[in-house]
Amino acid sequence: MQTASMLDFLSTTVGADWRLATPLIFAATGEAICERAGVLNIGVEGIMLIGAFSGFATSHATGDLALGFGAGMAAGFLTALVFAVFAVTIKANQIVAGVAINLLGLGLTSFLFRTYFISTGRGVDIARPLNIPFLSDIPYLGPALFQQNLLVYATIPVVIAAWGVLFRTSYGLTIRAVGEHPKAVDVTGKSVALYRYSAVLIGGVLGGLGGAFLTLAHANQFVENITSGRGFIALSIVVFARWSPIGVFFVSLLFGLFYALQLQLQADPNVRVPYQALQALPYLTTIVALMLVRNRWDAPSMLGIPYWKA
Amino acid sequence: MKIDRRACLSALGAVAGAMALRPAVAADQFKMGLLVPGSVAEEGWNRIAYNALKHVEAELGAKVSYVELQQNPASFEKAFRDYAAQGYNVVLGHGFEFQDSALTVAENYPDTWFLISSSKVHKGKVIGLNTDSSQPFYLMGVIAGKMGKGAGFIGGLEIPPIKEALDGFANGVKATKADMPVRSVYLGNFQDVTAAKEAAVNMISRGADFVIPDADAAGIGVIQAVREAGPDVCTFGVFTDITSTAPDNILGTYLADYAQGVERIVAGIKNGSPLPASNVVFGLKDADVMKFTYNDKAKRAVPEDVRQYVDAVKAKIISGEIHTLGG
Amino acid sequence: MSDLPIRSSLDPAVRLLSRVGLAALAPIAAVLFALGVSALLLQLNGFHAADVVNVMILGAVSDKRSIAEVLLKATPLILIGVGLCVAFRCSIWNIGAEGQLYAGASAATACGVNFGALPAWLHIVLILVAGSVAGAAWGALAGLLRVYFRASEVVTTIMLNYIAIIFTSYLVTGPLKDPAASYPQSAKLARDLWLPRFLPPTRLHVGILIALAAAVAAYVFLFRSSAGYAVRVVGLNPSAAAYAGISVARNVLLAIAISGGLAGLAGAIEIAGVNYRLYQDISPGYGFEGIAVALLANNNPLAAVASGVLFAVLRSGSELMQISAQVPQVLVFVIQGLCILSVAAFGALRLRGPRPAG
Repeated sequence: MQTASMLDFLSTTVGADWRLATPLIFAATGEAICERAGVLNIGVEGIMLIGAFSGFATSHATGDLALGFGAGMAAGFLTALVFAVFAVTIKANQIVAGVAINLLGLGLTSFLFRTYFISTGRGVDIARPLNIPFLSDIPYLGPALFQQNLLVYATIPVVIAAWGVLFRTSYGLTIRAVGEHPKAVDVTGKSVALYRYSAVLIGGVLGGLGGAFLTLAHANQFVENITSGRGFIALSIVVFARWSPIGVFFVSLLFGLFYALQLQLQADPNVRVPYQALQALPYLTTIVALMLVRNRWDAPSMLGIPYWKA
Repeated sequence: MKIDRRACLSALGAVAGAMALRPAVAADQFKMGLLVPGSVAEEGWNRIAYNALKHVEAELGAKVSYVELQQNPASFEKAFRDYAAQGYNVVLGHGFEFQDSALTVAENYPDTWFLISSSKVHKGKVIGLNTDSSQPFYLMGVIAGKMGKGAGFIGGLEIPPIKEALDGFANGVKATKADMPVRSVYLGNFQDVTAAKEAAVNMISRGADFVIPDADAAGIGVIQAVREAGPDVCTFGVFTDITSTAPDNILGTYLADYAQGVERIVAGIKNGSPLPASNVVFGLKDADVMKFTYNDKAKRAVPEDVRQYVDAVKAKIISGEIHTLGG
Repeated sequence: MSDLPIRSSLDPAVRLLSRVGLAALAPIAAVLFALGVSALLLQLNGFHAADVVNVMILGAVSDKRSIAEVLLKATPLILIGVGLCVAFRCSIWNIGAEGQLYAGASAATACGVNFGALPAWLHIVLILVAGSVAGAAWGALAGLLRVYFRASEVVTTIMLNYIAIIFTSYLVTGPLKDPAASYPQSAKLARDLWLPRFLPPTRLHVGILIALAAAVAAYVFLFRSSAGYAVRVVGLNPSAAAYAGISVARNVLLAIAISGGLAGLAGAIEIAGVNYRLYQDISPGYGFEGIAVALLANNNPLAAVASGVLFAVLRSGSELMQISAQVPQVLVFVIQGLCILSVAAFGALRLRGPRPAG
């Protein structure tokens, strides 16, 4: 391939990669914080769907994009609240509660979508790409990196903020302690439950944001099950990234890369493998990567285990 | 505990009472049922069957009902049987996957007609209805070949209607401009709008200026990408009219008015007229079923000479001179 | 086991019945609660709430054929649910039952359309065995990744789901594609390879009997055998298990292989008993629904039978609901979700005291 078309290929790939990774980055960062506090929320898929639908519905009704994003985050917050009640207060099995949230998310969003939105065809005006002056004129990489919309750029400050909060604030320290030695936190008089609630809710807000991205900043409509399994991919990303927001950012990009690649390779007439092999690429590489990384059981010790006050 | 049981029993009792009070349906009204494999809420494949059903209801005064089976093959047979047992005259199974169950149920219900979409079956009262997607897509390919530099097709799953569409499209392009590249991607599902959009963005960046979706709900991602790429990139509306979503880019719409075709067949059943001797194929020859219209407001609206060329090609397809699936 | 005062002088049958009844109380109350909320949801959206119970539940069991259909749908749910009971008891979060089902279905089909020279009964057995082995291997793959690479099974089983489904798509558009037609499906299984039916004129086949047998076998394995005991200990406390000399790795692999094997068997039964051929969307999410089945049954294989039947009733009923009352099918997901939440809540509230075993 000539250098020009190779660079072209590269720049399209990078751009697509970042876009495809954005909802994953939001959702996985939120889930990482949640799991650091010891709560395993596998209902991320349901939360993302609810965020996607709420964002779309609100934007559709009000015409306001910012309100839509706000609604998506609020909906994620409320759903996470329900989950937190079951996981932290009632101390039900967290996997069970997460499965329920997923079912509810899919069912409710589909039900409401059909009842009130029977495919109008009309979508909402989505977030427009922002051109960063000068930088976006850099050949090839310019358009890829510097012509994305606000939400895509937002992934960077969000990830940095999450990392900062987790590792440079006392709140973050407590969150991590709650996930490793909740008893130690309890005896200092702080409420383990409250810290866990806050972590779950942050996860919900970010999950809702990730979902809203799909309908407000990428496609311009809601479609039933639009998340198509992204919530589960986010769960994998958290594990793979060893529960670190910075890790989440790069792992999501890795995943997005393979996802973008498989679409591109499918479209390339020179590539002769059955398209299913390409479709399977992102998942195969995740498994291979997990094998190479050889997790040293870095999971928060109390992940998934409810805490009973003595 | 006791309260639970009592409440439960009384609830059941109330319900049984409610059941008894339901009015009976007129026994000899013409009834048509529909089985769809997905959701009718989405624009696309399932929606056209739903429209067909509603059309039959309106035109023929039939009582209609539909079931969404969410890709649950174990349920197909039961659903057919339920309809047949309830005296439905015609049941439409929307997709070739319904063929097996229809044939099985037909053995027990010789008076019921079973219509199967995208199928070539013809056995007793089980008739396949096929909309030859390759034909309108061939025309789109011709237009792309005449006006464009690169073509792209984004499909959902590799099932016959979509594969035929792709083949028709590619053949149309090749027949018009033999060296024009045609790229294709299968998403693997019909909902991943994001993937559809990225696939289209990718194709556009590699020089495709005619990118067509055939992925039901996920197709809106393609339209989105085309719209964002500017008015020089073109596409077509497939199955339903969505010109308003991208008026500068949509050059035309292939409207599958399946409703007309289905209603015609069902009316024939209702009137007792003899049915076609083989399975039914709707093609461009059925002007009421397959409508291909142009959008004059598009920036690169199809010019008159191309339209005439397309008309000539269309005539050749109808007469059988051109085989859209090659060979 | 339970901390309730059951008189020991009572007839053992009555005692058993009371224990079962009490254990079932929470799930039953939970289900009723979920149905109630769903009825409310329907009413608020303009449908008749009475239709929920009427059509959905009663309609689904109104005659022999309906009951047969329910049992038909329950078969894969029970098999997968039972398998997941085993995995969950070992604290293996096998989210990959769907992929294991597809693996089993693919292997079963490959076996079914070849080896035509075998006597039918042997061929059928081979088909079911092939499915189980394929499912078990697919599950064991995730197990090996966990044991040797510390890879979380939550992640790997989800990935393997996608890979299995994609691979099936490849098989039906390629190597296994029916040469006689142009559809992406395999050839149809020969008539004598179909699982025997035993309740004409319904479609009910021996798969349900296999599922019931599997449930009993799993119960006996988990609660009446030392191997099953080891599995449960590993699930409750792996360090204690290791200290007691129980091999964590071996039990993890065993548990997930059993779970995968049953899911693969479910896939094989769907092929040999219902569809008679393989295509791309052979499962409407049985693998995920099976998780709900197991959880509702509190990971007890015998209870999983009831739980599986319940979910099958809901599914069957939802189709009837559409035919008669035009209520969207997605409501079933809402009901299932509410059921599980309620059960989780009721179940957790029961745990305030000493944890009941079994």
